[in-house]
Amino acid sequence: MNIEHFLKSKPPIWMRGDIDYGDIVMSTRIRLARNLTGFRFPRAFSDEEALQIDKMVSNALIDGDKKFNIPFSYFSLHEMPALQRQVLVEKHLISPQLANKTKSGSILVSEDETISIMVNEEDHIRIQCLQPGLQLDKAYQIADEVDRLLEDKLPYAFDESFGYLTCCPTNTGTGLRASVMMHLPALTVTNQMGSLINTMARLGMVVRGIYGEGTEAVGNYYQISNQITLGKPEEDIILDLQSVAEQIIQKEIGARRALLEHASIAVSDRLNRSLGVLKYARILSSEEAANCLSNVRLGIDLGLIPTIPDRVLNECMLIMQPGFLQQHAGTTLQPNERDVYRASIIREQLQFNNSDSKQ
Amino acid sequence: MICENCKQRPATITVTQMKNGKKVTRHFCDVCNKQLDHFHLNLDSDESPNAMQKLFSNLFGTPSWSVQSVPISNPQTKVPNESCPQCGMTYRKFLEEGKFNCPTCYGTFKEQLPQVLKRLHNGATEHIGKVPGSINESYQMKRQIEALRQDMKLAVDEERFEDAANIRDQVRALEKKLQIGGEEKGEH
Repeated sequence: MNIEHFLKSKPPIWMRGDIDYGDIVMSTRIRLARNLTGFRFPRAFSDEEALQIDKMVSNALIDGDKKFNIPFSYFSLHEMPALQRQVLVEKHLISPQLANKTKSGSILVSEDETISIMVNEEDHIRIQCLQPGLQLDKAYQIADEVDRLLEDKLPYAFDESFGYLTCCPTNTGTGLRASVMMHLPALTVTNQMGSLINTMARLGMVVRGIYGEGTEAVGNYYQISNQITLGKPEEDIILDLQSVAEQIIQKEIGARRALLEHASIAVSDRLNRSLGVLKYARILSSEEAANCLSNVRLGIDLGLIPTIPDRVLNECMLIMQPGFLQQHAGTTLQPNERDVYRASIIREQLQFNNSDSKQ
Repeated sequence: MICENCKQRPATITVTQMKNGKKVTRHFCDVCNKQLDHFHLNLDSDESPNAMQKLFSNLFGTPSWSVQSVPISNPQTKVPNESCPQCGMTYRKFLEEGKFNCPTCYGTFKEQLPQVLKRLHNGATEHIGKVPGSINESYQMKRQIEALRQDMKLAVDEERFEDAANIRDQVRALEKKLQIGGEEKGEH
């Protein structure tokens, strides 16, 4: 599989929203952090160590026996142009941190883009598994399977009392970070996110923006994940997150209902105006586009806006990002040029769809 | 005029700040202005510690080596002098950076680590959960030996000496197996 396959703007299957709670939980992600014993962590290792780890991991996954029947494609970030790296970040296949590590980083990715293994990010190995909707168990099962395959062939750094040893002590223990990406426009607009974030902290959960640590919530999307990785078995971490996610879903549903009851026309006005912006604007910043897309999605969920297929909205969400835009344009664009190009692409997507639905 | 932050879009917003008693005027575009929090504006990124460092210095307070008034009797503020044999990491450096340099660091700072982990993981200091397959065998055996020892104690207490002797033999056999397994692994 060549890199072009992974740079397409066709939304990967984990973005399909037709699973349980697909209208509120966009996707589920499991990440396992692992390291190899006898090597320093990426922040301190030598180029030789980096190369050796890279070879060991890719050999274990690609050239190993065919016990695991999912083929992986290997890409070194060293040879990859900056724009392609950015597109992979926007597709959530790699983290922004890995995209910046051109010296030693690489990625192994499954054809359907649901499994990616980052090599030499903060830890030697980060197994990542993405699934659409709220599917923590399934995502963990797959990540666990990849982990078992790797542990057969690689000497993991493990301590009986501290568990899996990681570069940052916040990941020590299970090395497991489970997260769900949730679209919470009604809780946001009714100013309930602040208290929700505080409650989450007390439950040992963190709320972040969509690209993980240090990023802001864009377009009312929030990533909710476990903070604690030590002293709790994997099953409990996942169960706790599952129940928290279910409670947030109920809260969001309640908030949506309240919005409709108390301010139906005002809400409808606001959401339909957003659709108007997307359809007719000539300059769209990524922030405005993300907010409008969020509003349109909410409008569809509430039955206030005629249905636009999820596929179209998801594609808009992917393609409006700076890396995708420039790739689509086939040239680098200045930020103001991007805003114009973004408006024209989204207009095209929605108009095309509109004429579709009239027939 | 172009934006001072992105240096690409035209600047449309003027921000006036008082910095060290001096008036500073800056120009940003609409997009950057929204992203920058002017009340904590610090564009010299070298000066601003990253989130993790901030977290650590908040968690452990001011390090004892920079403030004399911290009582030395507090075990949490004691900083060991040894450095990690594999990577040269010191505990002081770890507290500053919040990250380790190699897996061996965990062994080196074994004594201090529970204090750190407790704060990060809601009081937990011991891993419960998945264990890699290769380690799992000896781990299971150790658990089994532990359980058998309990049985043996019970048997002795209840004066079932024959049972106790049987269990003792099982424990010895397991211990021998564990030792051989460990040696085999050590040779690799």
